[in-house]
Amino acid sequence: MSDAALVARTLSGDRKAFTRLLRRHEGSVYRVCYRILGDREDAKDATQEAFIRAYERLESFEGRSAFRTWLLRVAVNVSLNMSKKNRRESARELPPERLLGADPEPGPEQSAVSSERLEQLHRALYHLEDNHRAAVVLRDLEGLSYAEISQVLDVAEGTARVWAFRGRAKLKEILTS
Amino acid sequence: MNEGEVHEMIPAYLAGELSEEEARKVERAIEGSERLRRELERYERLFVLLSAAASQEIDPPRDLEMRIRSQVAMRVYLKAAFELADGLLGTYGRALVYYLGLS
Repeated sequence: MSDAALVARTLSGDRKAFTRLLRRHEGSVYRVCYRILGDREDAKDATQEAFIRAYERLESFEGRSAFRTWLLRVAVNVSLNMSKKNRRESARELPPERLLGADPEPGPEQSAVSSERLEQLHRALYHLEDNHRAAVVLRDLEGLSYAEISQVLDVAEGTARVWAFRGRAKLKEILTS
Repeated sequence: MNEGEVHEMIPAYLAGELSEEEARKVERAIEGSERLRRELERYERLFVLLSAAASQEIDPPRDLEMRIRSQVAMRVYLKAAFELADGLLGTYGRALVYYLGLS
């Protein structure tokens, strides 16, 4: 059954239909929250909040975009708000220079990226401006098109491209020498 | 196309986001510039990292679905209770629901 049909059934009071939507999209919503927030517990809370908000606001889904895109928009908003709150409350960020580990020379061996390097990437993502981080996560980690990203972030496609460019440029500065 | 413009197009070039014509222009410019080649190498390393991160398996915790379902169920019951109280008692019913902290 399509997402649109499940949304319609949910709105008519069928909660099992919402459970099917939840099962279908839980993984991608959690992944996006985790990649924006960089913490599994925060990602869990953000995913829960995103689905509850989506359920409560389902009537506002007009079907102009895919349900997944609409849901990711809710999830990204929740995650970015949580990220701002976390920044205010904690100083868990490492300065960017501390993120620079041994940067391997380019070559075929790079296909085997160490978990340490991946951890550095996740920490480096946290040093990007919120919008830039969201654009990089959606484009380079989730593989969304710029048209989809513009819908998720509610900006023009050109803006989504600029944000991804700036995010990538900052990551390059932090992670490669 | 000047070197600065090409420099800005390198990540889009590596991500396959340029037209064929734009990609050819970038390739020609890179051939003739040591600085652009170094930038290309740095972005290549970044994209290897991004690609590896993209293929990382990140699964939600097992209890998350149940947690969300129970939260949604609770909202549904509270909403129904609120509407019932509203229907039966009007403003006083709503106040009671607020007072009991159910809304």
